[in-house]
Amino acid sequence: MKASPNGNHPNNQLWAHVDINSYFATLLQQENPYLRNKPVGVLKAAGRTCIIAASKEAKTYGVITGCRLAEARALCPKLITVPAPFDLCLSATRQLRTIFTSFVPDVEIFSLDEAFLDLRPCRRLYPDPFEFGKLVQHTIKETLGSWVTCNVGIGRSRLLAKMTGEISPKGSVTQVTEDNILSLLASTPFSAVCGIGHRLKQRLCDIGISSLLQVSFLSDEELVSTLGPFWAVEVRKMSGGEDPELLQRIHSNDHMKCVSRTITGYGLCDSEEIIKRTLYNLTLEVITKVRIMKLAGRRVSMFVQGRDESWRGHHTSQSYLQHTAEMFSYVYDRLYKTCHRTFPVLRFGVALSLLKEQSGIQEPLFSTWHTQERLESAVDSIREKYGNFAIRSGLLTTGPVIKQEVTGYLGDKKFYGLE
Amino acid sequence: MYQTIGEKVSVAGVYQQGKFSPRKILWGNRTYVVDQVTFISDEKDGGVAKRTYSIMARGNVYRLAFNRSTEIWTLMEVWYEG
Repeated sequence: MKASPNGNHPNNQLWAHVDINSYFATLLQQENPYLRNKPVGVLKAAGRTCIIAASKEAKTYGVITGCRLAEARALCPKLITVPAPFDLCLSATRQLRTIFTSFVPDVEIFSLDEAFLDLRPCRRLYPDPFEFGKLVQHTIKETLGSWVTCNVGIGRSRLLAKMTGEISPKGSVTQVTEDNILSLLASTPFSAVCGIGHRLKQRLCDIGISSLLQVSFLSDEELVSTLGPFWAVEVRKMSGGEDPELLQRIHSNDHMKCVSRTITGYGLCDSEEIIKRTLYNLTLEVITKVRIMKLAGRRVSMFVQGRDESWRGHHTSQSYLQHTAEMFSYVYDRLYKTCHRTFPVLRFGVALSLLKEQSGIQEPLFSTWHTQERLESAVDSIREKYGNFAIRSGLLTTGPVIKQEVTGYLGDKKFYGLE
Repeated sequence: MYQTIGEKVSVAGVYQQGKFSPRKILWGNRTYVVDQVTFISDEKDGGVAKRTYSIMARGNVYRLAFNRSTEIWTLMEVWYEG
């Protein structure tokens, strides 16, 4: 395919992928100068034992996301552990979004620390993509602080922009052109390719494929017989530098299909009171989010997981659920109680799916439903004015409450208004 | 590590280019001059908006929260080495 004089794709598709380096740890270091240039391990909360993010200094010791605290301390005895600043990160992501939309009209927030910027409508404004990348980096530093660095990858697809950003040095701006695309496709490990997970990587490795470029030498039949019809098409697209399905549907006007919440306890729990309270707390968060988005759902799912055992179940209701008490009766009475738990619980999860907009649902005629709705609406108003736990069920008065927190992959970005 | 404080404080500051910047904190009977604002973040608890200023003063890092509904300043946390 012929490249344009400036090395870009002739169809004028041009994407910038911005990825903040070591997001959680970098923001903590920006906030607290005593943490700068030091190995920092971020925990979900004080007392937790899993490293959920590491600073670039900690990464040089081999401390990576997901490693156990004891393991991390063995690798890096001077590791400083700090609880994750979820609210601060979400606020920073909102600020990043404001920065990006000041440059280009189409911004796709991919995760808490990553975004794709569509440069196509702004080619005249930013004729040099490399300079554009530098400008974005500069503005981020001006807004969030000088410690906050990012990689900017530029390419004719989101996939290429992200790939080049992933494998480049921290704080760099790189562009994929028709001159260097082949070397990128040949040298990028599958772990840095968005859309290729562990199982797919393994299946490709089994037939001797270790890079996207090698896929071009396989016939369609060989790909289908190894990967099946769906992944054969996806991998073929990626081998040509095109976006896989995953990256094409970042933006969607549809409402959320499912709202879920999981939590891992500090230790194994055998207390029925704590289990009930935890399940209620998670249910409350799910329903609160569902109500704020003016949705209602029919399928209630839950799981409890111990050290080696687990139980999960779901129930599909005939009517749409949008009240806490109603959903909790499914979670606790119809699901949890039927599992006759025999093991202590470490991890809990609750979900409401088959969601639909409330405006499209026929309201039940039962007076009990309307009484419940009036109660929930009143509670919503109080929470709106005084905070999420200003008013709460008696079940939540006997222990600490579990508060909403954002996840790194930003699964509920629609709820946070980041889409 | 961060030590939780959770005490109300008085804050004096200036508006610069449309943004508030804290300059002095009165905590107990002591005044702390703000050397640097290292980060500003916004959060919402229900409909209650809060703004947190991370600041350096007297060699320590503090997290200072401003409840935009009640207009109350609270010293949330202080970082100490140890």
